[in-house]
Amino acid sequence: MDAPSPSRPTIRRLGRTTVDRIAAGEVVERPANALKELVENALDAGAAHIDVTLEAGGKRLLAVEDDGCGMDAEALALAVERHATSKIDDDHDLTDIRTLGFRGEALPSIGAVARLALTSRVPGSDCAFALTVEGGAVGAVKPAARAAGTRVEVRDLFFATPARLKFLRTDRAETQACVDGVKRLAMAHPGVAFTVRDGARLVFQAARRLETGEAALRARLAAVLGRQFTDNALDIVAERDGVRLGGLAGLPTYHRGNAQQQYLFVNGRPVKDRLLTGAVRAAYQDFLARDRHPVLALFLDLPAGEVDVNVHPAKAEVRFRDAGRVRGLIVSALRHALTAAGHRAADDTADRAVAAFARTPGAGSGAWTAAARPSAAQMGAAHAFQAPLPAAGQAPLPAAAGPGLGEAGAPTPYQPAHDLGGPSWPVGDPGADRGGEAAGAEGLGGAGAYGSLDPGLDAPSARAEAPGADDAALVRHPLGAARAQIHETYIVAQSGEGLVLVDQHAAHERLVYERMKRALAEGGVARQMLLLPEVVELDDGAGVAALVDRAAELAGFGLVVEPFGDGAVVVREVPALLGDTDVAGLVRTLADELVDLDEALALKDRLFHVCATMACHGSVRAGRRLTVAEMNALLREMEATPHSGQCNHGRPTYVSLDLDQIERLFSRR
Amino acid sequence: MKLTIERSSLLKSLGHVHSVVERRNTIPILSNVLLDAADGRLSLTATDLDLAIVEATEAHGIEPGATTVPAHTLYDIVRKLPDGAEVSLSLDDNQRLTIEAGRSSFKLACLPRDDFPSMTDGDLPHNFALPAVELKRLIDKTRFAISTEETRYYLNGIYLHVAQGADGPVLRAVATDGHRLAQADTVVPEGAAEMPGVIVPRKTVGEIRKLIDEFEGDVEVALSDTKIRFGFGQAVVTSKLIDGTFPDYSRVIPKGNEKELSLDCRAFANAVDRVSTISTDKSRAVKLSLGDDSITLSVTSPENGTATEELAAAYQAEAMDIGFNSRYLLDILGQVEGDTVAARLASPDAPTVVTDEADQAALYVLMPMRV
Ligand SMILES: Nc1ncnc2c1ncn2[C@@H]1O[C@H](COP(=O)(O)OP(=O)(O)OP(=O)(O)O)[C@@H](O)[C@H]1O
Ligand SMILES: [Mg+2]
Repeated sequence: MDAPSPSRPTIRRLGRTTVDRIAAGEVVERPANALKELVENALDAGAAHIDVTLEAGGKRLLAVEDDGCGMDAEALALAVERHATSKIDDDHDLTDIRTLGFRGEALPSIGAVARLALTSRVPGSDCAFALTVEGGAVGAVKPAARAAGTRVEVRDLFFATPARLKFLRTDRAETQACVDGVKRLAMAHPGVAFTVRDGARLVFQAARRLETGEAALRARLAAVLGRQFTDNALDIVAERDGVRLGGLAGLPTYHRGNAQQQYLFVNGRPVKDRLLTGAVRAAYQDFLARDRHPVLALFLDLPAGEVDVNVHPAKAEVRFRDAGRVRGLIVSALRHALTAAGHRAADDTADRAVAAFARTPGAGSGAWTAAARPSAAQMGAAHAFQAPLPAAGQAPLPAAAGPGLGEAGAPTPYQPAHDLGGPSWPVGDPGADRGGEAAGAEGLGGAGAYGSLDPGLDAPSARAEAPGADDAALVRHPLGAARAQIHETYIVAQSGEGLVLVDQHAAHERLVYERMKRALAEGGVARQMLLLPEVVELDDGAGVAALVDRAAELAGFGLVVEPFGDGAVVVREVPALLGDTDVAGLVRTLADELVDLDEALALKDRLFHVCATMACHGSVRAGRRLTVAEMNALLREMEATPHSGQCNHGRPTYVSLDLDQIERLFSRR
Repeated sequence: MKLTIERSSLLKSLGHVHSVVERRNTIPILSNVLLDAADGRLSLTATDLDLAIVEATEAHGIEPGATTVPAHTLYDIVRKLPDGAEVSLSLDDNQRLTIEAGRSSFKLACLPRDDFPSMTDGDLPHNFALPAVELKRLIDKTRFAISTEETRYYLNGIYLHVAQGADGPVLRAVATDGHRLAQADTVVPEGAAEMPGVIVPRKTVGEIRKLIDEFEGDVEVALSDTKIRFGFGQAVVTSKLIDGTFPDYSRVIPKGNEKELSLDCRAFANAVDRVSTISTDKSRAVKLSLGDDSITLSVTSPENGTATEELAAAYQAEAMDIGFNSRYLLDILGQVEGDTVAARLASPDAPTVVTDEADQAALYVLMPMRV
C-alpha cells in the first residue's frame, strides 16, 4: 500500500448506478436473498400458486411466477423505481406493517445488479406488459402476453458487480439456501401452493392446503419438515394479552445436533431471533442434553404495533416492544405442552419391528401415580443405587463395561455379594439366586458384607428371573414385574398387556434428577463434608468467577465451593446422594455450563440445569448388574415419578410392546 | 504336553487364577490361562497385564510342555466333571488340548504359549514375611473405604507403608474415599523397615483376600516402587502398584478431639440400621444428639416422616448434634470387633475419630454430613 497521500480527498456525489449497487449489496447478498424478495412479493400480491425456477444456484436464473394481483403498465414502471411501493403510504407510519414488503427497495436493488425482466397482467385486463432492467438501466414498458399474474426473471445475478460473484458458494450450496428460503415462507403460508425447480428437476413441492387453521398448518409442516416431525410433535396454542402463539414443537425424543431446524415466524414473516434460541433451551432443558436441539416451528401473531420489522436489511430480524413477555409466552407454552405430554416419546425409528415397540400414547404419569405408589421399602431399594459404596468388592464383575468400569464406573453401593457368591447364574435354573435377592435390599445394611466371592461363578450376559410369589400383583403395575436384565443394561419386565424394556441408566438418571429437584424444593440437598477437600483447577477465570458467584445456589444443591488461589476452587462439601463421585469432573462441567448459560437461562432454569448435570454424574451406569428387588424398585419409582418417560437427554427411558404388537411381529394376526 | 491330575486340585487352582481373567477381552490371549507342565507339577497362570496369578499343583504322568486355553471355558468344563474324577490333559500337534475324564472328552483350541504375556517381577528389593492373619486384618479393616472413583486413581487402593506409630514404627494400611478413612497397623516385619510406601490396587486386594482364606502361615511379600508380589506357598500373585501419590492422610486425622463418646457397638449399629429404614434415601443423614450419658438417633424423611431412638452411652462433654451418613457409620461399626466402640468428636463440621476397644491398632475417621 502506498503512503497516505497528503492531498485532501475530495467529496463527490455518487452516480445513481453506484448508489443503487451499493444499496443492492445490503438487500441482496446472495441468490437466496433475491429469491426471498421475489417470493415475498408474490405472497403480498395474494398469489395462490407460486412456481420458482433456478439455474446454476440462482446465479444464471431465478424466476418466480405467480397468479396474484399483477401490475398494470404504470405500476410496472413504478415497481422498479427506488422507494416506490404499493404497500404502505406516507399517511401510515412504519408501525403498522401487514405485508412482507414495505420499503420499495427489492426490485430496484435486484435490477441494479442483474438483468431483471418483469411480465405482468392484472386479472380481468386483456393486455400484459413487460419491462426489463439491466444493471440499473431501465427499459421501456412494452405490451406482452401472459396469463393473469406476474413473472419475474432475474438472469445473471451480480453480473454488474463481479466482486460479489466471487463470494458466492458452490451452485449446490446456493441452491440449497434458495430452497430453504422458499420452504420457510411456505411453512407460514399453507394456503399457497409452491413448486421449486432446479433446472427441470422438481426439488420442492407443497400443495395448496384448503383446510383451515391447525390442520392446514400441520399438513404444510409435514410437507416441508417431513411426516416424522409432525408425527412426533405437539400442538402449541397459547394466547396472552393479544399475543398468539401457535405451531408445532417436536417431542424431546425427536432431536437434532444443531438448532437449524427451529423456525420462528412473526406475523407470517420468517425471522431469526436469539430470543427463540434462549426460550427453547429453557423450555426443553429438563428434557434434552445441552448439545441436542429440538425441532420446532412456532408462529407468533401480535399486533403490528408490538413489533418493529424494519431493523434488518433483509428483513430477517425483528424487534419486540416487550421481548420479556414474548419470551415468557414461548417458554410457558412449550413447557406446558411438554409436561402434558408426559410419557409420550418419539418413535422415529424406521425399523418396523422396533417401531412396534412404541410408547403407549398418552400414558400420563398422573394415572400411574394413583395406581401405584411404591412402598417405602421399594423406594429404599431403588435409592440404594445411590448410597455410597460400602465395600470395594473385588468381584470379577461381568463387565460389559470392560476392565474396571463395572467396579468403578458408578457409585454402586452394594456389591451384590450374594449374587456373586452363587454357584453360577444358571440359565436353566433361574431360581438359584433367589435367596440372595431378598437380602439384596436389606443385606446392604449389614456391615462388612463382602462375602467370600466364589471365583467359580459364570455370568451369562442375560439373567432370567423366575416369577416370585407376589408376581401377580407386580404384573398389574404399568411397568410390570422385572423378568430379566440383559447385557447388564436393560431391564425386561412383563406388564399386564405386554412387555416393557427399560434403559436402566436413562431411567435412573431421570429419577435422580427428579429427586434432586424434590430435595431442592424441600430445602436443600443433603451435604457430605469432605475429609479430603478437593482442589479443582479450572483453565479459565470465568469459570471460577461463575462458580463463586453462584456459590450460595450451589450449596443448595449440596455442593460447597470456595475460591482457591488463581484459577482454582476447593470443594468442601458434595451432594451426599452422589456418593463417591468425580467431583472435579462435575465442578468443571458446572463451571462451563454456568459460563455458557448465564445469560441464556433464568435463575430457576439454571438451577435445574445444575440438577441435570449432577444427576448424570450420579446415576447407575449401564453395565451394572441389578437384583430383581432393585429392578422392581426402579420400575415402581419410575411409575411414581413425573416425566420418567425420558431421561434428561430426551432419550426414552423405556419402550413397551403390547401383546397385539408382539403377535403382529410374529404374523399371528 | 501331557499329564493327569485330580479334578479337585485342578478345579481349586483354576478357581484361584481364572477370576483374574476379564470376561470380555479384546486381546484373545488374555482370555486364556497358561498351562505349564514340568517337574511333577502343573502350573497355571492368568493375567490381565496389571496383575498375574501363578499357581502350581501336583500332577502325574507328565510329559513336559506348555500351552494356553480359554480360562473360563476350561474352568467350566472342569467344574462340571464328576467329583473325584481323574482328568487327563494332552496337547496334540495341531495345537489342540484334549481334556478327558471318564467318558467325557473335550478338545479346546489353544494359543501358543509364547504369545502369553509374562509379567516380569523385575527386581523386588524389599522382602518380608507377613502372617496371613495380619494381612487379612489389614485388608478387612480398610478396604471398605477404598475409593471407586477412577478420576482419583491414587485412592483406588490400599496404601501400605511404614509409619511412625505411638510406640515406634508400624506397618500401616490406609484407605480413604475422601469422605471417610480407615487405618490399621501391625508390627513391622523384618525386612520391611526400608520399604517405600505403595498403593496396592483394589483388584489385587480382592484377589489376595480370596487366597488368604485358604492359607495359613506367613505370606511372602516382595516389592519395589512399581510392583508387589504376594507368595501363598503354591500360589503367587504379582501386581503392578498404583503409580500415584497417596495424600498426606495424617493431616486429616484429628489429634485434638476432646468430646469422648463410648457405647455398645452392636446396639449402636442396630439402632442406626433401624432408624435409617424411615428414609428412602440411603444418603440421608442420621442425626446423633449427644447429651448427658445418652445419645438420640434421628432420621427425618420428607416422604415418610421421622424415626428416633435413644441409647445409653458414656458422654460427659457439652451437648451437641452431629449428622453422619448412615451407610458410612454402619461400615465402620461393622469393622469393630469389641463390644464397645469409642468416638472422639470435636464439632458438627469436623472429622470424628472412631476406635475399637478390642483393636487399638485400627482407627477410623468419618466426616460428618450437614444436618
Ligand atoms: N409479484 C408481484 N405482483 C404484484 N405486484 C408486485 C409484485 N412484485 C412487486 N410488485 C409491486 O412492486 C412494488 C415494489 O416491489 P418491491 O419488492 O421492490 O418493494 P416492496 O415489496 O414494496 O418492499 P420491499 O422492498 O420491502 O420488498 C410492490 O410494492 C408491489 O406493488
Ligand atoms: Mg418486496
